[in-house]
Parts: sequence; C-alpha cells; structure tokens
Amino acid sequence: MDRRELLKMVAAATGGVVIGGEFFLAGCKNPDAGIGISTTFTESDIAFLDEVAETIFPKTSTPGAKDAKVGQFMTVMVNDCYEKKDQDAFHTGMKSLNDACKTKHGHDFMKATAEQRKELLVALDKERGEYQKTKKKEDPNHYFQYFKQLTIMGYFTSKEGREGATNYQPVPGKYVGDVPYKKGDKVLTGLS
Amino acid sequence: MADNNTFDAIVIGSGISGGWAAKELTERGLNTIMLERGFDIKHGKDYEASNKPVWEYPHRGGRTQQMIADYPRLKRDYPLNERNLHYWASDKDNPYAETKRFDWFRGYHVGGRSLMWGRQSYRWCEEDFKANEKDSIAVDWPIRYKDLEPWYTHVEKFAGIQGSYENLPQLPDSHFLPAMELNVVEKDVAAKIKAHYNNKRTLIIGRTAHITGPLGHSPQRTNCQYRDMCWNGCPFGAYFSTQSSTLPAAMATGRLTLGINSIVKEIIYDKETKQAKGVRVIDAETMQVKEYFSKIVFLCASALNSAWVLMNSATDIWPDGLGSSSGELGHNVMDHHFRVGASGEVEGFDDKYYFGHRPTGFYIPRFRNFGGDKRDYLRGFGYQGGANRNGWGREVAELSVGADLKDALSEPGGWRIGATAFGETLPYHDNKITLDKNMKDKWGLPVLNFDVEFKENEKKMRVDMKADMKEMLEIAGVKNVREYDNDNAPGMGIHEMGAARMGRDPKTSVLNGNNQVWDCKNVFVTDGACMTSASCVNPSLTYMALTARAAAFAVEELKKMNV
Repeated sequence: MDRRELLKMVAAATGGVVIGGEFFLAGCKNPDAGIGISTTFTESDIAFLDEVAETIFPKTSTPGAKDAKVGQFMTVMVNDCYEKKDQDAFHTGMKSLNDACKTKHGHDFMKATAEQRKELLVALDKERGEYQKTKKKEDPNHYFQYFKQLTIMGYFTSKEGREGATNYQPVPGKYVGDVPYKKGDKVLTGLS
Repeated sequence: MADNNTFDAIVIGSGISGGWAAKELTERGLNTIMLERGFDIKHGKDYEASNKPVWEYPHRGGRTQQMIADYPRLKRDYPLNERNLHYWASDKDNPYAETKRFDWFRGYHVGGRSLMWGRQSYRWCEEDFKANEKDSIAVDWPIRYKDLEPWYTHVEKFAGIQGSYENLPQLPDSHFLPAMELNVVEKDVAAKIKAHYNNKRTLIIGRTAHITGPLGHSPQRTNCQYRDMCWNGCPFGAYFSTQSSTLPAAMATGRLTLGINSIVKEIIYDKETKQAKGVRVIDAETMQVKEYFSKIVFLCASALNSAWVLMNSATDIWPDGLGSSSGELGHNVMDHHFRVGASGEVEGFDDKYYFGHRPTGFYIPRFRNFGGDKRDYLRGFGYQGGANRNGWGREVAELSVGADLKDALSEPGGWRIGATAFGETLPYHDNKITLDKNMKDKWGLPVLNFDVEFKENEKKMRVDMKADMKEMLEIAGVKNVREYDNDNAPGMGIHEMGAARMGRDPKTSVLNGNNQVWDCKNVFVTDGACMTSASCVNPSLTYMALTARAAAFAVEELKKMNV
C-alpha cells in the first residue's frame, strides 16, 4: 500500500482529533487561505502553555508534556504551520483559558493548583466537545481543541514521549503479523 | 571510457527506466552516458533523512505555510512534507500550465522517483495486452504477455521482488523472494473473502521491490529492516532504486558516465541519415549548452518529460516534434484513478498485535470484467489496503485530560482495516499535453500544458470501487464500515502513462513494438510514455521489463548495423 493512503486511513480513523495531527497526516485543508503571520510568544507564554500541556499529559511513571517541551513545540507549530484564523483563535484562547480560570477559581491559571487546573480543563474539554459538534466547517476550532491536539501530537512525536511512553522500535529488523497483546502493553512506534 | 562527447549510447533520465537502460546497455558492451537533469544523490551518504527520528524535525515532518506558498502544485498531496522535500522538484523552477488540473509530482535528481516510489511491483497479465483490441478502443498493443514474460523474469531476478505465489490469471506470479507476512486480521479477512466469493476474490500481501533474502549479484544490499522509512532513501539498499541496484551494476562495467545537471533540451536529428545523432543539453547550473553524440538514444525522462523532449526535437522537419507524424505525440495521457474505497473496525482481536513497521500492505487483485464477470464499464481495478491497530492519534471520547488519557493513548487502540482502489483509466486521444509557449521554466524552456480528465468510464467504475470494498469488509465481519470517494485529479496517482504510445502502425502510434520512434529508429522511449493502455496495476515493473527488452533489441540491431 502506498504510504500516503496508509496515512490518510489513519487520519480518517482519528476522526480529526489531533489538529496538528490532522494537518500532519492529511495536509492542510484550505491551503489557499493565506500564509500564516508569524506571531511572537514570550517566555511566559511558553511557560503557560507548558503548564496547560502538563495538565493534559502530566508526568507519572512516564514523562509528562513538560519533559517533552510541548509548550515550545506549540509555538513553533502555531507560528509556522497554522493559518491566520487558527493563529488568532489560539492566541485568543490563551487569554480565554486564563479568564475561565479566574472565573472558576478566582486567580490566574499559573497560580492554580494542579487539581484546580485539571478541574478547569475537564470543564473546557467538555465545552470543546459540544462546540466542535455544532460548529460550521469553516469556523475555527474551540481553542481548547488546539491545546489538546498539539499536546498529544507534540508529546508522541517527541523523543521523551516516544522513548518513555511507547514501544519505540526504530529498527525492528523483522515483521511478525501475529504477536500476543495484553492490556498495558505499549503502542508500537518507530522513527517516522 | 569514451572520448569527448561521443558515446555508443545516451540515456536520458536516471529513474527506474533510465537506470535499467544504463545497466543493460553497459552490460551489453556499450559506452554509455546517462544524463540527469538534476543533482546527484549518493547512495547512503546523501540520504540525510533516512535515520532521522521524527522529533528532529521542527514541525515533526509536516508542512509549514511557507512550504505551502512555495509549492502550489506539490501541496495538493502528501509529497509536500518536511522530510524529503528536496527529493521533489521545485514548483517555482519548474512550473506548468493547466487547462485542466493535473497534479504533476516530479523527482529531478539522480535516481528520480525510484527513490520515492511506492515500490509496489506487479506483472501485467495476458488480458491487459489484449484489452484495447478486444474492446476496439485506441490501438492494439504491438506486443503480448509472452513477449514480455522473459523480461519480467530478467528484471525481477535482479531487482528482488517479495510476494506470494498465487497462480492467478489476472496477476501472474513474479520470481519472488520470501513474502512479507499478512497480519492476523488481514489473514482472517482474506480467508472470509476467499470462502465467500469461492476463490474469485483474493487478498494477498502487496508485492514490492524489497529484498527479504539474499541476492547473489548484489551483496551490497541488505534485507528490509521493517523501519518503514523507505521514501527517504534506504541506507540498507533494501528496496530497488537506481542508487541501490542498477547504477552500481552499470558503474561496475566501467562503461558508464553519469552526467548530472544536464537538461536535455532536444534530440539532434540528422535529416540525411534520418537518425538521431545525439542530444543538446543545457547545464542546469551554468546555462552552458553542450552536445553529446551517440549511435542510439534511450529516452527515459519520465512519461511526460519524454514526450516534452520529443516535442522540442526536429521541429524543422515536424513542427510538433520528433515522433509527431502520427498526430498522437502528447495524446492518450493516463494515470490511475484512486482514493475511493472503504474502511471499518475489527472486533475480536484485542489480544493480538504485530511487531515491526511493514513497508507494504495487502493487495486485492482485479475481479471485475474478468473471468466471466461483466459490468457496464470497461476494465477493472485492484485494491491496496492494510489492517492495523489505531495509534496515539485516535479519539478517546470517554477520557478528557490527565494521566488516564496519556496512559490510554500510550497503548494501541482497536483494529481497523481499509483499502483504496486503483482503477484503470482508458487512453483517450483528447487527454493531451502540449507545449505552452507563453510560460517558461527557470531555464527559459517552454513548459507543458495539461488538458487531461477522467471520463465516464472511470466515473462508472468508481461506483463499484467503493461499493465492492464495503461489501467485502462487511462479509468479513468488519464493523461500522464507511465507504468513501475522495476524488482525485489526474496525476495524483503518480502513474503518468501514455503521450508517446506503442502501436502496430506509424499512422496511429509514436513507437513500434520495440519502443523505437517510428520516425527515427535509433531513438527508444521505454518509460511510462510508451504505454498503450494503463492496466490497473502499478506500472513500474513493466517499465523495467520493457526497458530491458528494448535495450537487448537495440544492441542486437547495432550489431546488425540496422540502427
């Protein structure tokens, strides 16, 4: 099978959960919409995004999103790969997320406890799910969609994520089409 | 080594066909120059991305908005990516005009698309070569399966093709290296399809040009390591490419000269002898014009570029170019139509997995309009597909954020299986390419204008391409089967064919049964340009066989002083 078709099948299978991933696998959906405008993220933006990502993928017995430098990764993807409307939605979303935290917990996200952060993001994820179901195709995504998807993609395409949380096999040397699997065994990944 | 600029043979292009021409001609004693329009890529050494893990790419292998702006054509499909972008020709330097949309994805470097190809390798069958005659369309192929059979054998033994022996009339077996394995779900689905359709439909391992066992003649090549990193160039030489296979063989003869950055702008035609005497070349870096001379020319510049070279040659005799006297040069352009099929979820195998990154999937050979089946369209299609467990990109609806989500995505998800059809396209005279004199490339040369479309026969076929896969998956017990038709413009299959077809009559074809230009017998065109019809199987193995056959013929003719 041609590689491109495999990738598309995977993209179809994910139902577009990973925005970065969607782009990564199926290519840009609307490439004529204009070149993204490079925007700046400050060090504190990256620290903020790292904490959002860490709440989505916390460090446990396996590395967390911060170990995988997901905050930095998000800024690169948003600057270089996103269309303008998605960049705008992402930036506005950072503020919206912080505002939502103030409303819910009475202070900035950076000052919230891990429990408060998780509680907030669980609520935002629910909101995201409902919004994504009803939004028009051309509308930007719910901002939490960007954070969640870039976290998943950034983590599982990082050295720390691959080596720490998956069965990373860069040179398997063989293919065996039938091996036993038990719950808890890690997902097989490789170089690509 | 030949003196100066004079050789026994000139090969234009260094891809799959050009590499084979160089190997066969040099091994048969000819001093040969292989001209490549682009830069050199050295085997192993220049495969920069071949060992590079995804995290070393800032965009993890994807595409940026800048890349999208720089590659207005390539962006249309998967080739626009961060990993092997330099293997794909620049749209800016190499523009083309589109009366109708055509996705032309090119590789302008040593090895051409032999480095990035899908490696799927299938023989044509008896019926493929008879199809035009039987259907009374286009023109009849001047050759039959039996003419090519020994040459399939010849190229397979050298290239190394893995696959399973199936004894199917619509998909003759090659000389195989040990087959890669179908996985447990694919085997289960294969058995159910076979039983239900009473052996009329089969699901087999996708046959590819990967080596899975030793090739005595090519000790420099190593078995596939199941990394699935092929299209970056394989440092193990596990798949067939010019670099891994034909180039070292040709170099070993001591009779090959490789000329890089050499854009052939025309074949030099000698009115007196009615033969080509060489080629005129522009140096891609210095713009300097050079001439090379030879007794024979093998034109293997890829289907549409080979037609382009002919269109630009001998225009003082034939305004539309060398080989245009039939009125067929540039016409009958074909590609496979695809991106239509079905996929679904497989239950009952949650205690099963696979190991390794297999660089092929399964193949379902043609069953429509074959062996008594009759549809309301001509020809047929095959499927390429695969079964695998979902990875980290899947949706886990019941999990929101946190350690549970991370843990869940660190494990494989459920099994999915799916396949896409590749359908035969008919050769239509009005599917054509022409020179666009108003648009020029970086070197001031006129570019091609595309006027190619899929027509009614292809559209009708797509109905079956979609429905048949859905039916087969459902019969195999696959759940939530979704059919799809994502449509595609011609070219996206990257199986360009036609534009200088073979035939039996110089009035209706550009090439004869030995790939000689009817109007100029010492020019041989053996790449996709020569195809008289398209079959539904991937074409590269057939280009290899046609090239090797024509090269052997050319050398015999030289000995007999016929060319």
